[in-house]
Amino acid sequence: MGGLERKVALLSAVSYTGISLTVALAFLVTATLVGTYTDVARFGGAAWVFLLSMIVTMPLVTSRFKKRYRA
Amino acid sequence: MSTKQITLPVIGMTCASCVTTIEGALNNLSGVEKAGVNLAGGKASVTYDPARVGVPQLVQAVTDVGYEIGTEQVTLQVSGMTCASCVTHVEEALTGLEGVRKAVVNLGLETARVEYIPGLVTVAQMKRAVREVGYGAEEKVEGAEALDREKEARQREIRRQGLYLAFTVPVAMLVMLGTFRDYWILPQLVPEWLGYKWVLGLLTTPIVLGPGRQFFVNSFRGLRHGVTDMNLLYATGIGAAYGIAVVNTLWPTAGFGGEGATFFESAALLTSFIILGRWLEALTRGRTSEAIRKLMRLQPKVARVVRDGREIEIPADAVEVDDIVLVRPGEQVPVDGLVLEGYSAVDESMITGESLPVEKKGGDEVIGGTMNKTGAFKFRATRVGKETALAQIIKLVEGAQASKAPIQKLADWVAGHFILGVHILAVVVFVFWFFVGYNLFFDPSSAFILSPYKLGEIGVFGFSLLLSVTVLVISCPCAVGLATPSAMMAGTGKAAEHGVLFKSAEAIENASKLQTIIFDKTGTLTKGEPSVTDAVADGQWRIADSKAIGHQPAVIGEVLRWAAIAEKNSEHPLGEAIVRGAKAQGLPIPSAESFNAIPGHGVEARFDGREILLGNRKLMRERGVDITTLLPQAEAVEKDGKTVMFLALSSLTSHVPSQDVRRETGDMKLVGLLAVADTLKDYSVEAIQRLHRLGLQVAMITGDNRRTAEAIAKQVGIDRVLAEVLPQDKAEEVKKLQAQGLKVAMVGDGVNDAPALAQSDVGMAIGSGTDVAKETGHVILIKEDLRDVVVAIEVAKATMRKVKQNLFWAFVYNTLSIPVGAGLLYPIFKLVVSPEWAAFLMAISSVTVTLNTLLMRGFVPSIRKEERKRQAVLRQLAPASAGGGGK
Repeated sequence: MGGLERKVALLSAVSYTGISLTVALAFLVTATLVGTYTDVARFGGAAWVFLLSMIVTMPLVTSRFKKRYRA
Repeated sequence: MSTKQITLPVIGMTCASCVTTIEGALNNLSGVEKAGVNLAGGKASVTYDPARVGVPQLVQAVTDVGYEIGTEQVTLQVSGMTCASCVTHVEEALTGLEGVRKAVVNLGLETARVEYIPGLVTVAQMKRAVREVGYGAEEKVEGAEALDREKEARQREIRRQGLYLAFTVPVAMLVMLGTFRDYWILPQLVPEWLGYKWVLGLLTTPIVLGPGRQFFVNSFRGLRHGVTDMNLLYATGIGAAYGIAVVNTLWPTAGFGGEGATFFESAALLTSFIILGRWLEALTRGRTSEAIRKLMRLQPKVARVVRDGREIEIPADAVEVDDIVLVRPGEQVPVDGLVLEGYSAVDESMITGESLPVEKKGGDEVIGGTMNKTGAFKFRATRVGKETALAQIIKLVEGAQASKAPIQKLADWVAGHFILGVHILAVVVFVFWFFVGYNLFFDPSSAFILSPYKLGEIGVFGFSLLLSVTVLVISCPCAVGLATPSAMMAGTGKAAEHGVLFKSAEAIENASKLQTIIFDKTGTLTKGEPSVTDAVADGQWRIADSKAIGHQPAVIGEVLRWAAIAEKNSEHPLGEAIVRGAKAQGLPIPSAESFNAIPGHGVEARFDGREILLGNRKLMRERGVDITTLLPQAEAVEKDGKTVMFLALSSLTSHVPSQDVRRETGDMKLVGLLAVADTLKDYSVEAIQRLHRLGLQVAMITGDNRRTAEAIAKQVGIDRVLAEVLPQDKAEEVKKLQAQGLKVAMVGDGVNDAPALAQSDVGMAIGSGTDVAKETGHVILIKEDLRDVVVAIEVAKATMRKVKQNLFWAFVYNTLSIPVGAGLLYPIFKLVVSPEWAAFLMAISSVTVTLNTLLMRGFVPSIRKEERKRQAVLRQLAPASAGGGGK
């Protein structure tokens, strides 16, 4: 069971980090393409979006994986 | 394939075929390798592949074929919960454990009631699961010890947050003074060095890393297990404000807004306000559960018992059933029992809500926890420990407080998804202001609400981040989460104070919506035993050696006396009623010389040389007794549903065997009649009047014939009668009313009322009734006073009013504050809410809800109010009349 939990944790971490990085990257690309933002604003903004995305996706993704593997 | 083996306790197996059925059901599940059932042990052993089948499916398979899985319950004391999302986290952590079937967390009581399958999960595992998501967990101890521990924990929390507050508030004020030292008269008062950014940073750092550390640690613990709570909102808010301030102080040209955007005061005040909120909550939250504390405090500590002929003092817990207990004036009754000797008045108000002391004499019941007033008495213990009425009441109230009302589901859903929603909103707000809002609306001269501080040099990132952080900080699910449970706790406690025990929060909610109340007749509206209501003497009857004649009281008394003599040896309820009636009047009742019961007719007896005949019309007709003179009176009382018995006496003086009397005594003369009926309880009429005044429809249900039922209904003031209803059909009658869309309450006391009590939306069982009724009912009225039905409804309505007010304020706060925090008003007013004000408003919202709930403490049901007024008037009159008498 410990192995299963580790597997769930690893898969979840990879998924929510991936999703958050994608969202942050999307923000960075948009900020680079649209307008004339400073590097601090672009990268700072991307970091903030990444942090918030992690907070949002972490519980959602983790519980979904837990449910899937428990079933 | 890795397999697992578990043992499930199975209830309901009676024979070998049960074994086959369960084994078949389990073995048919895909993923089950082997299932074996032990009939004697009541266990099913299952080997299965956890990747293909889970415990819930195994349990379902057993229940689907008609058996139950044995479960146990445990209550954990959970510390560290601050808001409704914590409730969801703890519930999820517990229900996530294999073997846990249900977990209900009560934020107000800080408890988690867990139903689990023994053998699959242990209490230690549950505690570990709760601790892993960032909360403290201990197995809840009962009674006074629990009270002490809970109080101690609360005091510790108050002290801890109080200490933090004592440190953060003065330091945060210094930071604020330093930040605004260029404004107003401050340059003359505040030294210049206090305005240096690095000084502000030095002052703020210990606040953030000291008292503020708790939010970072708790949110990290939660995040590790994939849960988000209020701590995360606080940590993100404080962290962002402090981080930006540090960056702008150390690297002012980094592009985060420079020196004009060093929000040290935001970080300091934000921390202070959040801690203020925590401190106020810790102070007030404990008070909503005051009723249960009061009840627990009632539990007596010592008892004086007689053992081996000696009077000794022992702990009340050590009293055993059948112990002889002594109670002196001013002492508490330690356990429940039956008075053997002595006489006293006992104050039972703390248990029953009865305001006047109740007289106790031999044969009367006493309740543990009540206070003896005047005399001393000796009683035999009948219920001790957890069986006493007080212990049962505490258990019921705790159970009700730990349950959830249907209205709470919405609040729980909102609060449970709130934190995530707020974080999503924070992203949306940030992205909007970053890409759109800043360019369109930003004005460098704009300022914070209630602050001279201008936004000035703040850049697009700083501004967007500021509004995003404000949204995180201003949102408050605490208020939403506390709204319902805090009011329910106060309501159930208040009801218990007045002798009404709600078994669940759902019962309170349903009681507040009632439209129809159905009363069982016998034993509920009426006393449930017949008594003599009328005695009429024949107008011509003269008592020997007396001048009394006809309807004079002495003659009527004689009618009762002769009837009682005839019935003295009878075991018929009507006969017993007559004997009781005569005794109540102080009449001497000598034994009859002979007695003969005539089934279905009456009795005949001989006393003092005279034959007595007491019975119905048929008996009188058979014996040739003329009853025409009293027929009009008989018919009149029969219309009221009463049973009439005629009394005839002979003038014979010789001893004639009773069998011969029937044939030979042609001189039997009618001397009177007696009417016997079940009478109304003391407050039935008043209760019905009050229910009508509340706008409720009141009905009566009974198995009696329609005439009797309508007569009682008329006396009590009920206009709708459901008569001649068989016990098994009472529930059907309730269903019929419910089918009309009515919310129905059933009030009853008997075993035959149980199905109707269960079927009704609110079943109210009379405390003196049967155990079955009390177990089935959703509400227990401790006293026999039917006015407590009104008390129950009034308390329920007041509680639900409070719930709705709380939810209103909580939702209004969030509905208004979140858009304002997100900068909705900025394009028009050029004002934004600073994070510290956001924190202050957030703290105030949850404290407002708790304080609003505390107003319930002043609630008094209308009946009690009137009683108190009456008693106050009597007290005022008493000295006046005493003074008048002296003159």
